[in-house]
Amino acid sequence: MPEQIDQIKRDFEAEAKDIRTADALEDLRIKYLGRKGHISNAFSLLAEIPKEEKPKFGQELNKLKKAVESQYNTLYESLKKGKGKDEYLDLTLPGRKPFIGRKHPLNQVSDEIKSIFKSLGFTIEDGPEIETDFYNFEALNMPKSHPARDMQDTLYITEDIVLRTHTSPVQIRVMQNKKPPIRMIAPGRVYRRDTPDASHSPFFHQAEGLVVGEDVTFADLKGVIESFACQMFGEDINVRFRPSFFPFTEPSAEYDFSCVFCRGKGCRVCKNTGWMEISGAGMVHPNVFKAVGYDPEKYTGYAFGMGIDRIAMLKYGINDIRLFFENDLRFLNQF
Amino acid sequence: MIISYNWLKEYIDIDLTPQELADSLTEAGFEVEELYPVILPFSGVIVGKVEKVEKHPNADKLSVCSVSTGSEEFQVICGAPNVAEGQVVPFAGVGAVLPKDFKIRKAKIRGVESFGMICSKEELGIEESSEGIWAFEEEYETGANVYDLLSKDQDYILDLFITPNRPDCLCVIGIAREVAAITGNKLRLPEFYVEEETNQKIDSFISINIEDEIGCPRYAARVIRNIKIEPSPLWMRKKLETVGIRSINNIVDITNFVLMETGHPLHAFDLSQIKGPEINVRASRKNETFITLDNKERQLPENTVLICDEERPVAIGGIMGGQNSEVSGATVDVLLEAAYFKPERISYSGKKLGLSSEASQRFERGADPNGVIQAINRAAALMAEIAGGKVVQGICDVYPNPIKPEEIKFRPEKVNRLLGSNLSSDIIFEKLKGLQLVIKNEKVVIPTFRVDLRKEVDLIEEVARLVNFSNLPSRDYTEVPYEINQPEQENINNFLRDKLLELGINEAATNSMLKAEEAEIFQQGKNITILNPISDDMTTMRPSLLPGLLKAVNYNINRNMADLRLFEIGRIFTNYKENQLPDQPYALSAVITGRRCPEAWNSDKESVDFYDIKGIMESFLSKIFLDNFKFILYDKTKYLMKGESAAVKINDEIVGVCGKIADDTIKAFGIENFVYAFELDVDKISNKINFDRKYDPIPKYPYVERDIALVLDNKISASEVIGYIDQIGGSLLNHVDIFDVFHGGNIPADKKSLAVRMRFQSTEHTLSDKEVDQTFNKIIKQTSKQFNASLRE
Ligand SMILES: [Zn+2]
Repeated sequence: MPEQIDQIKRDFEAEAKDIRTADALEDLRIKYLGRKGHISNAFSLLAEIPKEEKPKFGQELNKLKKAVESQYNTLYESLKKGKGKDEYLDLTLPGRKPFIGRKHPLNQVSDEIKSIFKSLGFTIEDGPEIETDFYNFEALNMPKSHPARDMQDTLYITEDIVLRTHTSPVQIRVMQNKKPPIRMIAPGRVYRRDTPDASHSPFFHQAEGLVVGEDVTFADLKGVIESFACQMFGEDINVRFRPSFFPFTEPSAEYDFSCVFCRGKGCRVCKNTGWMEISGAGMVHPNVFKAVGYDPEKYTGYAFGMGIDRIAMLKYGINDIRLFFENDLRFLNQF
Repeated sequence: MIISYNWLKEYIDIDLTPQELADSLTEAGFEVEELYPVILPFSGVIVGKVEKVEKHPNADKLSVCSVSTGSEEFQVICGAPNVAEGQVVPFAGVGAVLPKDFKIRKAKIRGVESFGMICSKEELGIEESSEGIWAFEEEYETGANVYDLLSKDQDYILDLFITPNRPDCLCVIGIAREVAAITGNKLRLPEFYVEEETNQKIDSFISINIEDEIGCPRYAARVIRNIKIEPSPLWMRKKLETVGIRSINNIVDITNFVLMETGHPLHAFDLSQIKGPEINVRASRKNETFITLDNKERQLPENTVLICDEERPVAIGGIMGGQNSEVSGATVDVLLEAAYFKPERISYSGKKLGLSSEASQRFERGADPNGVIQAINRAAALMAEIAGGKVVQGICDVYPNPIKPEEIKFRPEKVNRLLGSNLSSDIIFEKLKGLQLVIKNEKVVIPTFRVDLRKEVDLIEEVARLVNFSNLPSRDYTEVPYEINQPEQENINNFLRDKLLELGINEAATNSMLKAEEAEIFQQGKNITILNPISDDMTTMRPSLLPGLLKAVNYNINRNMADLRLFEIGRIFTNYKENQLPDQPYALSAVITGRRCPEAWNSDKESVDFYDIKGIMESFLSKIFLDNFKFILYDKTKYLMKGESAAVKINDEIVGVCGKIADDTIKAFGIENFVYAFELDVDKISNKINFDRKYDPIPKYPYVERDIALVLDNKISASEVIGYIDQIGGSLLNHVDIFDVFHGGNIPADKKSLAVRMRFQSTEHTLSDKEVDQTFNKIIKQTSKQFNASLRE
């Protein structure tokens, strides 16, 4: 039996060598792989051998069949392409590459931000992009006619339904459903009525954070942002907090990182200041706690913003935000 | 807001350099966006004296002048009509350089030589346009360098970003007050005295009635007579210039100057145009119109505060004056207004009118109701001083419900609790006092100009920013004491994304706002449109991810990249009902077009077809552990081509579609290539995924394969044949698949050959040929009969 198997294999290989036409190949297929071909016949011989040897030879025969089929397929393909076999192999020719799937750079950065905050014990929360005026403004201490509404040029669906201008509404939704302690970031798409240019897109992405508890202080906010800065851009990155104004935080701050290009020494990108503006932060305003039914005497908290697009631009040295949304293959294939 | 360093120094001693001042202001919450020295764009210009002026022999409008620079005299041709003997002027001799790199050379003008130029302010680049040469008012010495003279008191401009909660800092004194709080130096308010004409009383000129007490809680007026309209003196013009305000005439300039100095907006009327005596402040009624001083007729929103005389409105309160009563060259008597308007009302009217002025910007954020008298007196004193006016005795001041300073409860220990700091009470109170806040027992009295201080936390912020944020402690991150449960959506989206990437598809990110027509094609119900879109390209929220992906396809094809595989996971927006949030589920879409394999010397050059998109979808579904899917013919998707589209069902629910994008859809996106796509409803599939997988043992015994080629009618589908064989195959049949489909050759045109591979296996023993043949033959027999098929060798 083993000899027969070897013989079939040798014969097939010898004959296959001389195949030059599709007809000849088809004959070969019938001769070996056909219903009454050599391999089929060999299978029928299985019946005559001792029972205990059957599995072994069954396997061998299956292996033979696969090998012959595969060689046949290769021959078939090469005949179809009109190429002879035995041709000279130029190994310097490029290999055959599959398509590669690449994660969008914004999601790569978003994943990195999320994993840093997950490691700091934050949950990742999500919420709708079309929001009510209540969640986007009112609950965040921005009643109608509040001058701060002008700071965020808003796109409206109706007078009371807006495209969210930040992901803070998610914080309100989470606080409505959960008692402190809370430690979350809400990454997602937000919208502003900005005409597109190199540094503005009418839609972009934020990951806003919120921490609420009984002993949460401004010092904790500074600590978390500093920790994030080092994990994202390196140990030598410094953080600077400056007073600012947001209706939903008090005190409010802007925070800057030392310039990631010159590491704080001063360069053209940072206009020689050594600093790059990142985003806003602050201690949650008591009116926001009131809006969600938390006792502002009992709980304190901090919130911070963070632009995912902005961080991606700094990380990869991208100078035009529109590149993220053109989906040019020459851009996407770099990540 | 633009502010001048030198002007600021008039109210406070500053021992900081301009850069240090800028840094301190930024650290205290007033971000200095720009700091730059006031630079004069010329060099080599010296002070000259015009000794002699004679007419040019060959040109009527030119003069031949002799200019002395002390040591030398130069013959200079001058075209300015105002040149006169005795003037001290800026003289640009040969070699001097004027703005735009204009080098002065010796020249011959109409036959007479000229050795330089007498300059106007315009030519020196200090003024936008000038009439005639600049004759210095100062007594400069001839020969002195003009650049040095003008920059001896080098000024700097600070461009500050003032947050909307701090209208009190939209003026020089406001910033000076902050500098005082930062540095501890003493604020120096301007000293002045209003000399009134005691023989005339204000009551004999006007009276005031406030009908709209809510819109205008306070209205005060003064009358200044016999003023002379003139250009302002140099010092005032210079100051206004540095902060970017164009000088108009002395009266208008004074109101602007006081605005910039104190932050309180004023308005000057020509008294002769006011049909008096009563000034009435009322709310506008329906359909009123008014011509503002910029000569535009405006439709007034109802409930706008109007200042009226006995016959008509003369100004929109707090926003803009009227053309019918503005100060002109002929004005002799001025009615000066200082008022306080309700912020919400100014903000409302300003927005409706689309009108924003220096005044309205301050009133809508909140002016100081108790700063009215100081401002009106400052302006009156200046009108007497520089416009020769006589101030009529008295102020007409109507203030029915005076607004008192508020008192806020304040607990110093709360400062440290919120900041995590360890500041002493002394430091805390010192910082608050530095801001002119008065500490009264356990309360803090807030001056009315600080509209932003309403709560205890607001005071904590004041302490924090004056201590400086960088001096506040930072607490190292410590372990979280509680359990983290990540919400499911986050995990699902990441899981799906990873599986698609593994299948070699690129991730895209596309705009969620579309053109109405683009959305229409994919919309099942009503378009969700934006009230105030940025442009026609972005009016409608996406009902599907496909339009965005098709745009990306078009973008790339136009740039010669035609082999594309793209997907996106994102929210889509559907099912909008008036004044309710629409459905915003996550969707997942993919598109493929172009070659099946990346272009290469040895690659298959075939283009993708239906089976590629279907195969990707099948692989994807099996990768996400959804094996029990079924494809059905489905022609109801309007953007997919009839006959080349299918739907995927899981447990009898349609969870997605796939197919070829319909021709008219493709054309609507400017694409000519074939594009195949699939879409899945993320919510529907995610609740069907079974993450709780258990392992299936690997079979112990070998399988046996049998192939058969059936020649049967073209209309019979592969899935029918497979389904049938599966059903009748019995327990040994473990897998059925199609491995070839063949048309032509000796097969009749209406038939096809379907090559079927069957795999037989037992979990208990190795199958014998006999066992297999028995089942296999039974299958062949029944199948042939069922489909009226013949066998092909
Ligand atoms: Zn730099």
